[in-house]
Amino acid sequence: MVGLSIGEQHFVKGGIAQDLRTDGRKRLTYRPIYVETGVIPQANGSARVKIGGTDVIASVKAEIGRPSSLQPDKGKVAVFIDCSPTAEPTFGGRGGEELSSELALALQRCLLGGKSGAGAGINLSSLLIKEGKVCWDLYIDGLVISSDGNLLDALGAAIKAALTNTAIPKVNVSAEVADDEQPEIDISDEEYLQFDTSSVPVIVTLTKVGMHYIVDATAEEESQMSSAVSISVNRVGHICGLTKRGGCGLDPSVILDMISVAKHVTETLMSKLDSEISAAEACEDES
Amino acid sequence: MFNGEFLLPRSPPRLLLFFRLSNPLRTQILIFIKSLSAQNKMSAKPGAATPTYSPKVVGRSRLPIFKDSDLDWSRPDGRGFPQCRPALLQTGAVSSASGSAYAEFGNTKVIVSVFGPRESKKAMTYSDVGRLNCNVSYTTFASPTLGQGTDHKEFSSMLHKALEGVIMMETFPKTTVDVFALVLESGGSDLSVVISCASLALADAGIMMYDLITAVSVSCIGKNLMIDPVTEEEGCEDGSFMMTCMPSRYEVTQLTVTGEWTTPNINEAMQLCLDACSKLGEIMRDCLKQAASASDE
Repeated sequence: MVGLSIGEQHFVKGGIAQDLRTDGRKRLTYRPIYVETGVIPQANGSARVKIGGTDVIASVKAEIGRPSSLQPDKGKVAVFIDCSPTAEPTFGGRGGEELSSELALALQRCLLGGKSGAGAGINLSSLLIKEGKVCWDLYIDGLVISSDGNLLDALGAAIKAALTNTAIPKVNVSAEVADDEQPEIDISDEEYLQFDTSSVPVIVTLTKVGMHYIVDATAEEESQMSSAVSISVNRVGHICGLTKRGGCGLDPSVILDMISVAKHVTETLMSKLDSEISAAEACEDES
Repeated sequence: MFNGEFLLPRSPPRLLLFFRLSNPLRTQILIFIKSLSAQNKMSAKPGAATPTYSPKVVGRSRLPIFKDSDLDWSRPDGRGFPQCRPALLQTGAVSSASGSAYAEFGNTKVIVSVFGPRESKKAMTYSDVGRLNCNVSYTTFASPTLGQGTDHKEFSSMLHKALEGVIMMETFPKTTVDVFALVLESGGSDLSVVISCASLALADAGIMMYDLITAVSVSCIGKNLMIDPVTEEEGCEDGSFMMTCMPSRYEVTQLTVTGEWTTPNINEAMQLCLDACSKLGEIMRDCLKQAASASDE
């Protein structure tokens, strides 16, 4: 991205201070969100989300695996993010690795909750087929095609939509076997189980520019930020994850204020996202 | 080193453990332990309690929590919920580094060494500001289960983020500062200890910073919030809250929350962390002052 001149920087900061951003939005308004599901036929679930100029695809693949010995009653989920060089030339090769791992870490934190599983968006116990032997491994992949700021929110929305679209085949475990043998499993082609995504949280990133915070920053606005806090709130209004990015220090009262603003914004965002996802699913069913 | 009742019984078994290893690290650690016992840098009076940075609990007493929750959690080491482990901090642990620090918080033992500012071999392009390179690695004997002593990429990037906001990078253009952290024993709240120890090592190296940074983590189990969790508590926690702040400026530089939290819980956790961070900041300053006065003599 081309750097901003001093005049442009003042314009961006001044606009935010006066609640009128460069594209005419208010500080707490999102850009139009466009959701499309079922974009990758080979995956168990997939979705494409466009927020303004930011375009991301999320896909969910489920494979049979063994539960880990530390947690034999739970399935496994792995999140990988890939920032494609089509978004930014600097993302080619090893360049985008740092950003990818940061995004993957933040998303994993929001989706999987605490160690005991509290606050998890995905119920890992529902991925279990046979305790200690067979479970589903979910591989959630995110691909950033075009980057215009606010990648984390877009990826969070895409993963939520992809999980809603995910259909996991029903598995019949045949015949009881001895403890040390792998049981035979029969993966059905006909029957599918839909994932329950009512507890998957949405992520809201609040970017602090000057004295005010904005929601859904574009790449220009992000270049002027002092710090950003990404807060993931679930349907009940509890915080499922929080990550602070950016080097500048924040006063603790500012962080608490950001949390309350994020909760307020989440209500509108979640209902908007739900309606978009159900519209996309309906569209997909028709075609 | 030998000034707290927790420490003395533990040190002999540790020396024995190192004799059995055929690890190239062994000689380095043996020399280091000898140097610690030789120069008693932490010159607290014998018999005085090791300083701890437990925060003050403001307002209501802790008892209602026990009654409400069905999970009556008692901490494995007998601490109260708002009580932190005693902290042992020493600078100058590694003589070949520009600056170093050793921290022992209960069973979590971390050593951090700082090299620099020195020539950046990787970056060929000129940059106005200095570069920071962080690396956190675990020894193979750090955790009770035998693990591979690999670099912890996640913690390395989080340490980098914590430190980049507080180091004045403009003071060493064209050069790099390397921060290497080695976790000798993992006993819980590893990243918080690594961050605090790293900032002490940077101060020992004389790198200019806006303030010392201290990190504290809080664990949520049921309705109980406990500060400075140990490995057992971290393994079954419902949520974790790790905060890094600059105590003198009263600013939060890094905040990581996982699990499900209600807003009152977050408020409480934040208050606990801020209080503990400011007290830990004072302990770190005392340690630096003692090291400075000891070198003056």
